[in-house]
Amino acid sequence: MRADAVADTQSETESPTGLIVLQGQDKMRPWVDAEGLVWAGAKPDATGDVLVLAIHLRELHGYGDLRVGRFVLATGAVFPVQLDGADGIGRTPWGSSLEAFGGVPVVPRFGSRAYDWLVGARLAQTLASKVTVGFSYVQRREYGDISNQELGADLAAVPFRWLDLAAKAAYDLTSPGISDARLSAAVRVGAVRTEVFASEQSPGRLLPATSLFSVLGDFPSQRIGGTVRWWAAPRLDVLVSGAGQLVGRELGGNGWIRSTLRLDDLGSGSLGVEVRRVDVTTARWTGVRVVGARSLGGGFRFSSEIEIVVPDEPNRRGVAWPWGLIACSWRAKSGWEVAGAIEAASSPQYRYEANALARISRTLEFR
Amino acid sequence: MRVSHALAILVLFAVAACAGVLGLRSSDPSHPFEHRAHVMKGINCVECHAGVSTAGDTGPLHFPSDADCRRCHTKPHDERACSGCHGESFVRGAAELAREHLRFEHANHMPAVNGDCVHCHTAVAETRPEALRPKMATCFGCHKHEDQWTLRDCDGCHVDLTAEDTPPASHLVHDGDWIREHGVRAASERDLCSSCHSERSCAACHGVGTVPTLPAKMAFDDVTLPGLHRAGFRSRHGDEGRADPGLCTTCHSENSCIDCHTASHVSPAGTRHSPHPPGWITTGAGGGEHGQQARIDPVSCAGCHGGAGEQLCVDCHRVGGPGGNPHGSDFRSTKNKLRDLPCRLCHGSGR
Repeated sequence: MRADAVADTQSETESPTGLIVLQGQDKMRPWVDAEGLVWAGAKPDATGDVLVLAIHLRELHGYGDLRVGRFVLATGAVFPVQLDGADGIGRTPWGSSLEAFGGVPVVPRFGSRAYDWLVGARLAQTLASKVTVGFSYVQRREYGDISNQELGADLAAVPFRWLDLAAKAAYDLTSPGISDARLSAAVRVGAVRTEVFASEQSPGRLLPATSLFSVLGDFPSQRIGGTVRWWAAPRLDVLVSGAGQLVGRELGGNGWIRSTLRLDDLGSGSLGVEVRRVDVTTARWTGVRVVGARSLGGGFRFSSEIEIVVPDEPNRRGVAWPWGLIACSWRAKSGWEVAGAIEAASSPQYRYEANALARISRTLEFR
Repeated sequence: MRVSHALAILVLFAVAACAGVLGLRSSDPSHPFEHRAHVMKGINCVECHAGVSTAGDTGPLHFPSDADCRRCHTKPHDERACSGCHGESFVRGAAELAREHLRFEHANHMPAVNGDCVHCHTAVAETRPEALRPKMATCFGCHKHEDQWTLRDCDGCHVDLTAEDTPPASHLVHDGDWIREHGVRAASERDLCSSCHSERSCAACHGVGTVPTLPAKMAFDDVTLPGLHRAGFRSRHGDEGRADPGLCTTCHSENSCIDCHTASHVSPAGTRHSPHPPGWITTGAGGGEHGQQARIDPVSCAGCHGGAGEQLCVDCHRVGGPGGNPHGSDFRSTKNKLRDLPCRLCHGSGR
């Protein structure tokens, strides 16, 4: 049994809030485990929400799994759905698998439920341990009527040790058209990993089908780009990413370069710099971020972070948005940890703003 | 001296000066064990790691003692324990974790490889300490385990993979821009993800209710932690959302905008805090920028105007109304406009 609890309190937002995590496994009965994740809040109205409450049963040789309860269903090209229901999967030694799921989409907190439900399945085949192909279908009903039907296809392939491919696409049968398609191909040669990606996403897919706004999102967001990660030296990483983007009828793009230098072999101290440029539709800005952290000995650690963002069109939001943080933490061998920070900024909301942050934590471990 | 030569010498000096900072030269006296030098001398592994060839799944870890070293190094340069500097501190932790998390017996494997340790410890001559432990791909060189791999049955070797909490080293890569990349990678191999990640990993972002306590928010002093909400995110969140439609609603419900803007007194529209730029809605042809933006990113609109706020749209966008038809020119739907939602909200009464 593992239990974690986190509490968070702030002066402005709903506070205090917290998370309770429970996880149970039994080595004597390895075919069953259970997990719970509960959010609890106190203001403005005492409330809480169960995010995960699931029991997981599995056949010990891997021929089948069954999840029952509340969980996030994310499989194949189907968009992730939080579900109260069941999800079962059967596998064969020759690489075929059939997954079937069904249940009631989760309503936040104690919201009322209509006659809503969801069913679906995914059939997949793995070939020579190198290629997996899957086909999925999902049907969702709200107030008893079909609100969404999708067909999906997904692919994962590792034809060579240095090449990794993945792709998925979903076709919306209700408002005919591709709702989501993504492709990623990564090549790793020595100290350099290069990834090329492309995606098309219909924004209307992200809304409940009962929302009027779901019938407006007919301009897909299309993106194509690449990312390169270079381990330039044992302690120096360089990450570069750029993408061209078509949103509606407007062409834009974004790109960034980030470099991190670790100051010791264990990574307890580091320096980093990031430069980013975003130029998409009405979002146009340039930003620079510099971070630094250093272990001071005796369990003390100092860190600082500075960011300056300059929007192309201030629109009465200020010509630049600087933000900075200075933090210091102390960790005792007994498990106690204390951290404090001063955060200052000039934002579109406040011309001047300063916040004090503090954290006290204690790690307890029982075996 | 030519300028190019002077420049080259300057660069060499700069690299030499920075060698320690870049990790090319360490100032710490402890260092990985000089396996390469010992192998080149023809010293068999079991001469130092005595007893390892018959070792089972439990018992000592078979690190050499000082006495083992001093059988050859009869005049040690230092009276301190050899293992203090020569390697053990780099590998003891990993070896203890391997003993705890893996079902493995050297005794079973030594006959199969004729006592050739390098058959599995292929990178023993490298100085990187992490290279000493064979990668899983090395195991797969002999043990195909195709059935177990296909069936995600890891218990044959891993005692408890989830509790092991070990970043995958040889068979999976979480590099690059993983937050963007993970969705397409997980599509075909969700059960592979679940080998290490439990349900709450997905629910933290993809649940209907948003987890309010993000690791990046709690660990404000760990400035190297990746995350979308780092640094001055609150200043640029509107631009971030517009640049990547749908990004926000991956984690947040569409009501999050209005909830937070109301609490922060940044609504409603029309006040000096209006989130909309000038010219958002005009009464002339085109209606201003809002129509175009609503079709690009309707999720953002629903963030504030969802639910009862939708009536705001219907008031103008109706037959005979000033807003006209809100659908795009290529709009298609198989829904029954008189019966299904949301069509019937406008069309149900015969409009």
